[in-house]
Amino acid sequence: MEQNLLRALERFIVTVARAESAAITSARILSGGAVQENWLIDVAIVGGAHAGRLECVLRCDSPTAGVAISHGRAHEFALLKTVFAAGVTVPEPLWLCEDSAVIGRPFFVMRRIAGTAAGHLLVKDGCYGGDRVQLAERLGRELARIHSVRPPQPALDFLPWYEDAPALHSIDLHRHFLDGHHTAHPALEWGLRWLERHAPARGEISLCHRDYRTGNYMVDESGLTGVLDWEFAGWSDPLEDLGWFCAKCWRFGKVDREAGGIGVREDFYRGYEGESGRPIDREAVRYWEVMAHMNWAIIAIQQGERHVSGEEDSLLLALTGHIVPELEWEILNMTESD
Amino acid sequence: MRDRPTGEELLACARRVLREKVLPVLPGEHKHDLLMVLNAMSIAERQLHYGEAPEQQELTAISALLGESLADPGEANRRLSRRVREGGGDPGQPQRTALFAHLRAVGRQRLLESNPKALNGAAG
Repeated sequence: MEQNLLRALERFIVTVARAESAAITSARILSGGAVQENWLIDVAIVGGAHAGRLECVLRCDSPTAGVAISHGRAHEFALLKTVFAAGVTVPEPLWLCEDSAVIGRPFFVMRRIAGTAAGHLLVKDGCYGGDRVQLAERLGRELARIHSVRPPQPALDFLPWYEDAPALHSIDLHRHFLDGHHTAHPALEWGLRWLERHAPARGEISLCHRDYRTGNYMVDESGLTGVLDWEFAGWSDPLEDLGWFCAKCWRFGKVDREAGGIGVREDFYRGYEGESGRPIDREAVRYWEVMAHMNWAIIAIQQGERHVSGEEDSLLLALTGHIVPELEWEILNMTESD
Repeated sequence: MRDRPTGEELLACARRVLREKVLPVLPGEHKHDLLMVLNAMSIAERQLHYGEAPEQQELTAISALLGESLADPGEANRRLSRRVREGGGDPGQPQRTALFAHLRAVGRQRLLESNPKALNGAAG
């Protein structure tokens, strides 16, 4: 980040933190993607509620991201504020700046959290995430807190609203996508028809993370440090998140550990039930595990298509397209008998 | 007529070199890239191995299911998809068993090419 931007950022922090001074002692880019950038920023703050050394992350659109998604950061900030207030362990959102005049693009600043999120490490290595019973329970509790956010939420009015049963809503979106795609997928159609025939009615609607799985939360040696990746959040049936978390396709090869490859399903459920005070309908979660495979299959087709269409030359995206047969196979396994 | 080694054989040989000689000396951050490369080469190799026969069989099977002679695999799968979406494979429908068996057979072949490990010990 250039010197003049750093000075502008310091002036911004002085204002929003009501500080006497703010000096950025370190600024380095953590990850730069096609859509977003994350900067690790250390600030020495004098005066105000944040006096002292502040370690934070600045998230902004990448310079090439274009206008279409320029509201993304404000939405993400609003989501973090909402769930942070609901008691969910997330990086604390500090300040949003929608004024592009400050550093050239909208951004927000959140407190930094430590640890790793890499799914293949979490399921393998005992040194990440601490005790597995506690971690599974904790993840259940966190999810219940996310689901404690109920509509209406004026701060989240950017989230699409719909009146259908959430399952039917997803089925419609998937069919719409498949109808516009160049290649038909009869096995997915079989799964969608099963999902349609078994779709649960619209019940209580909650804020759902919609990508709550191993790989999208951070842990250190002793346990959870934060729930990440909120870009798919939306209103849905809370069981959608439970099914996504437990689905076989998100166990990173540890299929016998049904709670996200890291723990026992009942430990996860116990944490959820304890926090929400409501029992989980075990059989109903199974429906949403079928839906999880369907959602992931559709996303995998879309990821592969980003490569095939020439939008983004990426071996990772290309290989993601080849996950689809495995997901279709699992969908057939789960829907054969009824 | 092409000389051997075939494309499939070349890929297999190239993969051995990468796996046995290059992978062990690569620094950690690039190992993952090479593993992805090896996976991509394996998929290409298996597609070459099976050739065009599975797609022809698939077309023949769909034609039999739909009771019409179809020439284009893309169009055949679109029509099959429509049949399934309209409930042609629902419980109690006469074609349910045959439809499902077809999806299984095609699915198995797709897995044999994309990720045969997923078939080990799998149901069906």
